[in-house]
Amino acid sequence: MRIAWLELRRRPSRFVTATAILALLATLLMLLGGLLDGLLGGSTSAVAAQRGDLLVFSSTAEKSFVRSRIPPAQQATVAQVPGVAEVGGIGVAQLAARVPGKGPRDLADVALFGYELAPRGVPAPPGPGEAYADSSLERKGVRTGVTIEVGPARTPIRIVGTVNGLSYSDHGTLWSSADTWRTTINANLPEAGVGPGVFQALVVRVDPGADATAVAGRIDRATGGATESLTVSDAVDAIPGVSQQRSTFNQIIGVTVVIAVVVVALFFALLTVERTVLYGVLKALGATSGTLFGGVVLQGVVVTAIATAVGAGIALLLAAVIPPGTIPYTLLASRVLSSALFLLFAAIFGCVFSLRRVLRIDPASAIGGGQ
Amino acid sequence: MFLALKEMRRALVRFGLLMASIGLLVFLILFQQTLQTGLITSFVGAIRNQSAPVLVYSVDGRRNLQGSIITPDLQNKIVAVPGVGSAGEIGQGTFSVTAGGKLTTAAIIGYQTEGLGSPTTLVSGRLAHADGEVVALASSAGDGFGLGETVVVQPGGLKFRVVGQATEIGYQASPTLFSTYPTFEQAVLAANPDARATLPAVIAVAPAPGITDAELVTRINDAVPGADAVTRTDAVASTPGVAQVQQSFQVIFVLFGLVVPLVTGLFFLIVTLQKASSLTLLRALGAPSSALVRSLLFQVSLVLVIGIGIGIALYTPLSSQTLGSIPLSFQTGAVVLWSVVLFVLGLLSALVAVRRVLRIDPIEATTGAGLGR
Amino acid sequence: MTTVGQEQEQPPRPALEMVGVRKIYKMGDEEVVALDHATLMIGADEVVALLGPSGSGKTTLCSIAGGLLAPTAGSVVVGGQDITGYNAKRLAKFRQETVGFVFQSVNLVPFLTARENLLVVDQLGRRTGKAARDRADQLLEELGLADRRDNLPSQLSGGQRQRVAIGRSLMNEPQLVLFDEPTSALDTELGEQVMELIRTEMKSRGTAAVVVTHDERIVHYTDRTMHITDGVLHA
Repeated sequence: MRIAWLELRRRPSRFVTATAILALLATLLMLLGGLLDGLLGGSTSAVAAQRGDLLVFSSTAEKSFVRSRIPPAQQATVAQVPGVAEVGGIGVAQLAARVPGKGPRDLADVALFGYELAPRGVPAPPGPGEAYADSSLERKGVRTGVTIEVGPARTPIRIVGTVNGLSYSDHGTLWSSADTWRTTINANLPEAGVGPGVFQALVVRVDPGADATAVAGRIDRATGGATESLTVSDAVDAIPGVSQQRSTFNQIIGVTVVIAVVVVALFFALLTVERTVLYGVLKALGATSGTLFGGVVLQGVVVTAIATAVGAGIALLLAAVIPPGTIPYTLLASRVLSSALFLLFAAIFGCVFSLRRVLRIDPASAIGGGQ
Repeated sequence: MFLALKEMRRALVRFGLLMASIGLLVFLILFQQTLQTGLITSFVGAIRNQSAPVLVYSVDGRRNLQGSIITPDLQNKIVAVPGVGSAGEIGQGTFSVTAGGKLTTAAIIGYQTEGLGSPTTLVSGRLAHADGEVVALASSAGDGFGLGETVVVQPGGLKFRVVGQATEIGYQASPTLFSTYPTFEQAVLAANPDARATLPAVIAVAPAPGITDAELVTRINDAVPGADAVTRTDAVASTPGVAQVQQSFQVIFVLFGLVVPLVTGLFFLIVTLQKASSLTLLRALGAPSSALVRSLLFQVSLVLVIGIGIGIALYTPLSSQTLGSIPLSFQTGAVVLWSVVLFVLGLLSALVAVRRVLRIDPIEATTGAGLGR
Repeated sequence: MTTVGQEQEQPPRPALEMVGVRKIYKMGDEEVVALDHATLMIGADEVVALLGPSGSGKTTLCSIAGGLLAPTAGSVVVGGQDITGYNAKRLAKFRQETVGFVFQSVNLVPFLTARENLLVVDQLGRRTGKAARDRADQLLEELGLADRRDNLPSQLSGGQRQRVAIGRSLMNEPQLVLFDEPTSALDTELGEQVMELIRTEMKSRGTAAVVVTHDERIVHYTDRTMHITDGVLHA
């Protein structure tokens, strides 16, 4: 083992090739993951940020906000269900907003949320005609103090504060009181109109220690099957496009890991060939195949660690350099970690290909000259 | 060539791993290309494969059927623009429906006039004429949207019958149904009793004789500030999300494409360095440099051809599958393009190894110096 | 018979005993007899030359004696240990602990310093740590390489590399050291210096050695000469 370590330190040039290619693959893995997380975040962060345990839709809505309706009577019923601590209504409208100073065709895509229970990072609902705006809308001119005109009916909404990292279906979000939201949606999206006191969905907080799934079942029974209650993460998965994006990218990531295995196998096989003479001598001196192979694995792991670090560096650099709003890209710590683990697995697995050759090296070949 | 093949046979594992690497990379690139196309088609196929040459959205609609609403006032202004040959309404809604016994989501697109919004890729049955008839996305047949089946809008219980099937008419990656406009209106009112009105999302227009699509687009946009007219092709490209998906994939393609020449070039450089002493010997025995270079390039070409072949072989069966709701297809153009590009890049990457071969001095066979690493 | 306070002196065990050792290689349909009924015995502190032309089987005999190769027939006992039936793993351990090698093309590990090359065997095997380091330093001192201990093989002359290899062969206090053509890569004067060194080191430690060579000139550094031709050993 120590010999393998010394070889790494004294002959780094031998390992540069494998490290460089692995670094490229590491970058690719993290890039893919970052693109996926960016796409997903753009679609779902507003819902994922809800500070609740459950989301309640009407049972015919197929978990879609815009097709769901919860009348006030139903909301009251839900509030009474045992295990429910708090209930708040929520609804969304996707519209285009006219921003002062921008041209008549240069509109900002917004998702206007009406809410009662504030999600993470959002203050309590503002006054009538007001809203908080997500920072991603700033590059479109939507900032605190500005009054924008929302939708074809040009409903005026004044921005009174900023929130961060909350998007829905690639739209930056606005957060307003329930009344403001209802007025806006009825004026601008008549087909999706809502009556007084009606919400599209409910955010439910369960009592501390209660089992959320059990409470969900109780809610649906209490409303006679008119509602479908699910965990927030299930609701996130149901947002259109999310499951397709996730499965697509995960498949690509999976194949990339397989490629990494093969590439590691390839370059370590080349390295092993170069060291046949050295291994012959070491075996003659009493090294077992196990010891030598352990050294190969150690080198594989170190090379992978360095490649991962380089790849992470490049991926982070990209995150800093890509202007927000062009390509959706978010590098999460969990993504870097999972990519590192995949590569580690690929490295160890790829080294196995060299095992046969290491086993086959005959110690007797050391005698008779290094021909 | 004899020596080249012999060497490869002796080092089968190494060359095999290289060909496997190239094969997997090629497969991944082609697979991603198909995924990208399939993904985009499942989101905007409905727009690409309908019959209206020019679509007029409301500016607020941001070129998205779901967000666009045409008021009667706006509609009148659009239709009045000189150059409009014929016009018809198109409406779109996303509904919960029961199909094949399960509750699921479907997009319904209703058109007023056949020839201005009807699907153009019919493969079985016929277009919808009467109320309650729909043409369904062919790839959703297995989910209860097959020919002759009944689809029920929820809530409300409104029934539709599938009278025809068309390919690549998906919208928002959902099973998509095309119907006449009255059928669409009934669906909207059945599903949402609170709905105040049913307004079209888009006015489909065809230019009058003597006017091109592009001209009509310009005329409408100039005359009606609230209208956003686009040709069908532009409508597909500028649907929100499409450009983003394409951009993301572009970056990925470039990077994966780079890995192939990198791996190939480095492999052959290392192998050349490792056998430097044998090459020196051959040169000393009288082999000309050109022979060694030809042998090297032969190996590179063979490896690339087999590697690319493996990639295509892995890709072909997968390209006829359906991934979730995304139908894939074999893209001949992409296969040819990438094969050529990667072959050329791979050959170029071997130039470094070629350079090393050319630098061999036969005299070193006697001195034993310069034996590579 | 005296019993009180007097230990009977046992004759020391032979370093190497080979009886009827054969090594046959199959090349396609033919059988090649590399070694034919070799029988020999080397005492605990004998330095023996094994002389023969190339292809005579001397390398094969040396390999079998060192546990690098298993014989087709016959028995091999080294320092009292019968290694005839040993599998690869046990042979590896045996080589770690009992034998020393100095190969023809001096096979030092190119990226290790002289000192580290000596420590290789210890690291592969018993891992005695400081004891090994002390021993390595001591050996380097004796071999006149104390000031070269942090040099890489590429920084040493041919003769110096040979001495490092000799040092390595002695690190595990072997019963037997096998020298494969130790002087073939060296000029006459250097060759004689190396043989002088070998003799001195072996004798001072009482370690047995087999020096395989085709060079007649060095035989006067050894106690005994054996000749081998075409796989057959002549005493």
